[in-house]
Amino acid sequence: MKRFDCLRALAEVANEALIVSSAGAMTLEWNYLRPGDGNFRVRTLGLCSSIALGMALGLPDRKVIALDGDGSLLMNLSSLATIARMRPKNLIHIVFDNEVYEASGSKKTATGAGTDLVSVALAAGIKNALWANALDDFAKAVAVALNAHELCFIGAKVSTERTEVPPYPIDEVENKYRFIRHVEKTAGIEILKRHLPASYD
Amino acid sequence: MNSAEAAKTIVDGLKRAGINFVATLPDINLADLLREVEEDRDFIHVPVCREEEGIGICAGAYLVGKKCAAIMQNGGFFNSTNAIVSTSLQYQIPLLLLIYYAGDIGDRTFSTTGSMTEPVLQALGVRYYVMRDTGGAPELIKRAEILADDSKRPVALLLTKEVLGRRPSLQLS
Repeated sequence: MKRFDCLRALAEVANEALIVSSAGAMTLEWNYLRPGDGNFRVRTLGLCSSIALGMALGLPDRKVIALDGDGSLLMNLSSLATIARMRPKNLIHIVFDNEVYEASGSKKTATGAGTDLVSVALAAGIKNALWANALDDFAKAVAVALNAHELCFIGAKVSTERTEVPPYPIDEVENKYRFIRHVEKTAGIEILKRHLPASYD
Repeated sequence: MNSAEAAKTIVDGLKRAGINFVATLPDINLADLLREVEEDRDFIHVPVCREEEGIGICAGAYLVGKKCAAIMQNGGFFNSTNAIVSTSLQYQIPLLLLIYYAGDIGDRTFSTTGSMTEPVLQALGVRYYVMRDTGGAPELIKRAEILADDSKRPVALLLTKEVLGRRPSLQLS
């Protein structure tokens, strides 16, 4: 299964969902397939699931989808326990498992040596956790998760194949501001309040 | 002021500073404070398993409009440094860090952790204030929140045993 095909299937149905993605080729592929300010690229390896959790808890009426990688999640396995504990109904945690640190020279990760991330998620207490190993299964799992009002974890075993797409178009700070403005507009809330005095105080 | 009263005062300060989202990991000296946080329905409270998670969780919550604090021990602050650098600082995300100052002057434990705490904060360019007076805590928390918001960076408040109401006076012979 190709990650790009999975992402394309997701892009067709993701609609207004906020997307948090772990840095690397996956983020570029996703941004090519669904460009927009509702995408947030994570630069700290491991932190994708945690940032997505914070968003889901802070904006409970909006679907938040974490696009994670095996190397990233392995670095922050404890986040699965925290996610299970908080159990946000609006969070979908998708892990594309290609069994290598793709962005770091493609050395094998622990999943390539047998660690099963769906089993880890289940053992951490996430009840809706499953593997999708064919594109149809993945599309079905995503459709179910988007319609469900419960925490879902989807593991997708994918090849190491990359698709050639343009580089990420904006830096981290612009990503932050665009994302916040997008949330303000689409959720009808004010986030960046203006406290500046009329003149220097 | 005893530790239960100190905890109430600090939580009151957090609320008056507009904090509504808190990630925590326990230290025995934070026990009363964390109980207050946990029991207060005005906060979304996320007990984390490792402090670095909390930096990410608070970043995500900030991006959707929450005002966040992370409460931890200084050892946990060390655990959080990669996230503070490559998420909080790189993306310019404000955050209030309430860090229990283990190994502070007069402590019997964690003197090495204590000795590294302020130098690491300085190296990260994170402005910090050592809190010793519980009565002044709410105002200092509010001022730290303003600084975090204005600078778009984390600001740290070091919680000593004094401010937490947990250091009885030494019996000098």
